[in-house]
Amino acid sequence: MNDEQVWLEQARRGDKEAFGQLIEAYQGPVYNLAYRMLSNSGEAEEAAQEAFIRAYTRLNSYDPAHKFSTWLLSITSNYCIDQIRKRRAVLLSIDEPLPPHPALHSDNNKGPEAAFLAQEREVLVKSLLAELPEEYRQAVILRYWYDMSYEEIAETQTSTVSAVKSRLFRARRILAEAGLERGLAPAVEAEVAV
Amino acid sequence: MEHEDRYYLMMMDALDGELAADGHTELEAHLRACPDCNREWRTLTAIELLFRQTPILMPAIDFAGRTLARLPNRRARRAALGTAYTVLLLSGIVPLIVALFLAARYAPVLSSPALLGGVWSSLAGTGRAATTIIEALMVGAGRFVIEQPILIGWFIILAGLVLLWGGVFQRLLVQPTAVASRN
Repeated sequence: MNDEQVWLEQARRGDKEAFGQLIEAYQGPVYNLAYRMLSNSGEAEEAAQEAFIRAYTRLNSYDPAHKFSTWLLSITSNYCIDQIRKRRAVLLSIDEPLPPHPALHSDNNKGPEAAFLAQEREVLVKSLLAELPEEYRQAVILRYWYDMSYEEIAETQTSTVSAVKSRLFRARRILAEAGLERGLAPAVEAEVAV
Repeated sequence: MEHEDRYYLMMMDALDGELAADGHTELEAHLRACPDCNREWRTLTAIELLFRQTPILMPAIDFAGRTLARLPNRRARRAALGTAYTVLLLSGIVPLIVALFLAARYAPVLSSPALLGGVWSSLAGTGRAATTIIEALMVGAGRFVIEQPILIGWFIILAGLVLLWGGVFQRLLVQPTAVASRN
């Protein structure tokens, strides 16, 4: 039994401290997913907290045959999709300046130029993701930031592998078009070996 | 356009590492010959690089502590649920025992046809009385509407205004005010 399984077993018995270890371990991936989906740091933090609370209250329904991270990210992304749909109903703006966060702080330590480039990259990524419908965005985030296989994405989205492939296909087309519109330079020949 | 779709699919497979060796050779040859597809491929690769180089973001340092503080108490929840189930169980079992006791005690009386007939006729009488009262109320309300149309009209307008302001008030309540201030 590894640490994660021990924490899960203890958390299942109501041990909050054990679940705290799981929060420490997964706070980055969960928050990052929520932020990429919602494009707003306040909402992302709220969503990440809500995802952990839901996971904690539903621990009995978790099937240990699957990866805990996949299950947790599935709860997070489904919650975020619900939030996006609700937000659409109240016409809330998602244009928010980027928050300071440790990833950018580390670039700050490398110097102002690196921090500027990182900030530029974040702005571009955010605007590109905003072009995608929520299911496409979810598939792209899970693919690029979490290296999930088609099967894992399908499991997270409660969908099929062929639907996931189709979403990624369309999403990449949209991203490529939007990238060109925003002045993204195509990669140089040296970077594009097939 | 057909060739573009075919090679576009191959590009997708290549990006996902699912393109077979002979497919690689064919795609490479095509990309050398076709400037449009070459540009498309380089754009897709640029997107790929951009996303893969963008780091995972971390929440604020005290995120774990604050989340932990919001977790419900599973033990207390389980105890509360256990109590609720016990109460529900007892609330089902106790009346059942009482009903069985009463049935055993009064079964001979209830099986008497004369007594059952009496109970039925009293129930039917109560139903008729209720129907008469409701009918009288409806007739009275109908007459009032005919005799006082202005009053009724005014009442409808007032109800509409109350509903309207209720809706406006609800809208004001759900205004997103706190989200941006978190940062």
